[in-house]
Amino acid sequence: MRGQRPSTGREMEVDMGLIVKTMARVTIPFIGIFGAYIVMHGHLTPGGGFQGGSTLAGAGILFLVAFGLKDAEKKVNRKVYSALEGVGGLVFLGAALLGFSVAFFYNTLWHNGPFFNGKPGTLLSAGFLPIMNLAVGLKVFSGFVAVAVSIAAFRRWRG
Amino acid sequence: MIPFQYITSFLLVFIGVYALIYKRNLIKLILALDIIDSGVNLLLISEGYRIAGNLPGTAPIYTGYETLKGVPMVGPLPQALVLTAIVIGVSVTALAVSLAINAYRHYGSLDIRKMRRLRG
Amino acid sequence: MKQEIAFLSLLFILGSLLLIANPHYGLKFAFNSTHEWLTYRYTDNYYITHGLKDVGGNNIVTDIVFDYRGYDTIGEATVLFTAIAGAVALLRPWRRDEK
Repeated sequence: MRGQRPSTGREMEVDMGLIVKTMARVTIPFIGIFGAYIVMHGHLTPGGGFQGGSTLAGAGILFLVAFGLKDAEKKVNRKVYSALEGVGGLVFLGAALLGFSVAFFYNTLWHNGPFFNGKPGTLLSAGFLPIMNLAVGLKVFSGFVAVAVSIAAFRRWRG
Repeated sequence: MIPFQYITSFLLVFIGVYALIYKRNLIKLILALDIIDSGVNLLLISEGYRIAGNLPGTAPIYTGYETLKGVPMVGPLPQALVLTAIVIGVSVTALAVSLAINAYRHYGSLDIRKMRRLRG
Repeated sequence: MKQEIAFLSLLFILGSLLLIANPHYGLKFAFNSTHEWLTYRYTDNYYITHGLKDVGGNNIVTDIVFDYRGYDTIGEATVLFTAIAGAVALLRPWRRDEK
């Protein structure tokens, strides 16, 4: 190709300038709070586990793009995030097996249980739905951030 | 009444399959798979709409304001199945991008006419 | 030669699909009467009227995804886990590159 330099494989280690870094410092906490609201109120307003997890992953990827690879690799330990994804899946299966004496997916915390038993319309209602929302949100967020950091840290072949 | 939703969905599938036949770059083929996914999801969601006289349907969420006017609720079952389909589309795209990165590393270019023999 | 045949068959399929979208003798877009709703979509009607009493959540879509059809959500979580594990495993550094 004429007029193009060969890629050195080090383009992701430089950050993006002062304006982008300042705006990222302002908006990342707000995106995090909004994503946590979508996950936790999944049984009252539109939202749930998958939608809130994707929003939180958006905040993580904004941090990776605006601050460069060196700062992101100090904060994101890839093995811990892979283990967190497995923990999220196991909590989801454990909540489904709580009412195993009647059926596989029986909602035993809503019909006769001590915890999530309140009036329909409050935050502590609807059986095992808040537990499952939190587990799926954690799984989706950690999975997407681990994939993004793995793609950015790949040492490319000098072509 | 021309149903715009069905026409848009069929056009999106046509554009995706056209790009899958005629383009040579590997990244453009992955983008074409994503466009086909979007077209099919749009077709599935617009199957559950409902009108009662002059009033359009609202979202199926009990908020406490329903019994005032008699507004009907849209069917919730297609929305639950499309949620699963969107997540599966994202997973296929992630795996395809990582395979494309490895193919570039072995062959040196992203042209599908140059990837003919298996190389270890 | 093969590409011309592919393009013509693609145009033929698009033309037949646009004939299906005609509301007189094809797919109907929105139901307008209660009798049609109760005949063709009785499952949706059951989920709307009995969802609040059986499960307790105000959001009917989250009700369906996690309680009435929970098996599909388990399958989708497995697919997501497998795809991400495969993508991370393919992007590890090789020992031959580091010489």
